[in-house]
Amino acid sequence: MRLVKVCWVIAALLAPFSIAAEASACGTCGVGDPTLTIVGFEQPKSQRLRTSGTVRHRNDRIGEAQVDELRLAEQRMEFAGAYSPSDRWTLSLMMPLVHRLVSAVNLAEADIWAPGDLEFRARAVVWRDRKFAPRHLVSLIGGLEFPTSSIERDAQGVPLPLEFQAGTGSWDPIAGASYTMFSDPWSVYAASIGIFPTKGTADTKVGASFRQTVLGQFQPWSFLAFQLGVEFRIDQPGYIAGFRDPNTGGHITYGTFGLVGLPHDKVLLHFTAAVPMIQRLDGSHVEGLAITAGLVYEI
Amino acid sequence: MKYSLVIVAVLLSMALLLNCMRVTEGIEVDVAYQPAATPAAVRTDLGYRVRLERAMIAVGRVELIRCDNFVLDLWKLVTAARAKAHEFSSPTSLGVPLVIDLMESAGVPLFAGTLRPPPGRYCGIRVTGMPADQDAEGLTDENLDMTQNSVFVAGRVEDETGEAPSALLAQISEILPCEMRFDRPLVFDGPVLESVSIQIDHRKWFDGIDFALLDSTAVQQQITENVRSSLQAVLPIEEDGL
Repeated sequence: MRLVKVCWVIAALLAPFSIAAEASACGTCGVGDPTLTIVGFEQPKSQRLRTSGTVRHRNDRIGEAQVDELRLAEQRMEFAGAYSPSDRWTLSLMMPLVHRLVSAVNLAEADIWAPGDLEFRARAVVWRDRKFAPRHLVSLIGGLEFPTSSIERDAQGVPLPLEFQAGTGSWDPIAGASYTMFSDPWSVYAASIGIFPTKGTADTKVGASFRQTVLGQFQPWSFLAFQLGVEFRIDQPGYIAGFRDPNTGGHITYGTFGLVGLPHDKVLLHFTAAVPMIQRLDGSHVEGLAITAGLVYEI
Repeated sequence: MKYSLVIVAVLLSMALLLNCMRVTEGIEVDVAYQPAATPAAVRTDLGYRVRLERAMIAVGRVELIRCDNFVLDLWKLVTAARAKAHEFSSPTSLGVPLVIDLMESAGVPLFAGTLRPPPGRYCGIRVTGMPADQDAEGLTDENLDMTQNSVFVAGRVEDETGEAPSALLAQISEILPCEMRFDRPLVFDGPVLESVSIQIDHRKWFDGIDFALLDSTAVQQQITENVRSSLQAVLPIEEDGL
């Protein structure tokens, strides 16, 4: 199992190289701005194509300690591609491969490897201050999460609770807006995103979720940038077979610190640590430190 | 554009990857009720013969008791009086209501469920008798009165001479928390499958009752006490490890 895990991580980091082995370009040169941006934050430029592999790790504790607590450790390997058919549009596709280790209070464990829910997003720049190397971008975002994750079932064929699933198994529309400011060496990114899940696995309905991200970036050198930000998320309660799941809903605010590096013209590395600062999650639900590390390849 | 299509194809094909799930069982305690077989006539310690026609008990909750949690358990014993018919289950408790017909059980064990407690030392188990709710297992059209009663007993009582039999009817509607100690603590520090048998000996329900002298209220009170003391938690015989 450990070997498989290692292979997946390596695959996540090397996939962009294998896809774009023959390509060559300098991403930041093409858009006229040296700001280092990860996938989703970038300036659209016609025919710009980027791939990425990202590994995310997070911990959750759900339920009352020593009574009915479930501990969840999750690693998501997200493979993504973002393509800009014009200077105003960016289309992105992200496919997660999920590893979940769910531990119960009686020392029972479920170790799950599964594909998650495929996510498609379209970003349209609706306003910019100038065409080349814009300093201000306002974009609208729309998207959809597809129920591509497999459904885990028990020995009787009954779907397991959502904690054991790699995805929600539902069609989840996404809508939002973002603002980006580029003022070398500073940049700011702010985004408001809403996710509106429909009924999914095991008669479960995850509540709608609103996420607000504000990131400031300082790039003292062309090859390295520092990020500091805040991520806020507020969730509606979830329902299982019509009954409210008491450990869902509420809001949480993370403080984030990140690094973005450019070891090569076409390769961008990034690392982010998100620390929960304010947790007002309903019921017995505690989220822990979240770590993200990834690689972006400019094709 | 060519690369875009390659990327899309790669990402979509990932959705076809097979899932893999490995489950490791943890600490599990199977709980079963083991009623005694009902004889044609129960002979009491005072010499009476009780010929049972109906004998039923409804249980609503089973709970493991930690050795080191005496104060909390006392509180639970008090709060058990406020218990409701359909309790929620937790890793240390089963909230599945069950009606046990002691006339038909004939010594057959009835599986109550599996507890999944955290590691620790457990010294006993608490069974709470309470009126059943509408979806209780074992509730039928013939015993619907168990939605009002924790224990129901009907039959006839004969004295030693066997003359002038009198009717016996006991309907106990109160909630009956019954706490039982194991003969040895259950110590869980790693995944294990254990089992606990809760023996119900209703042949002792009429001991200490002088039917000729006591009125029906006093008889019912004594039966209530006897029901509590007739339950016994039994662990499987421990192997000596030779």
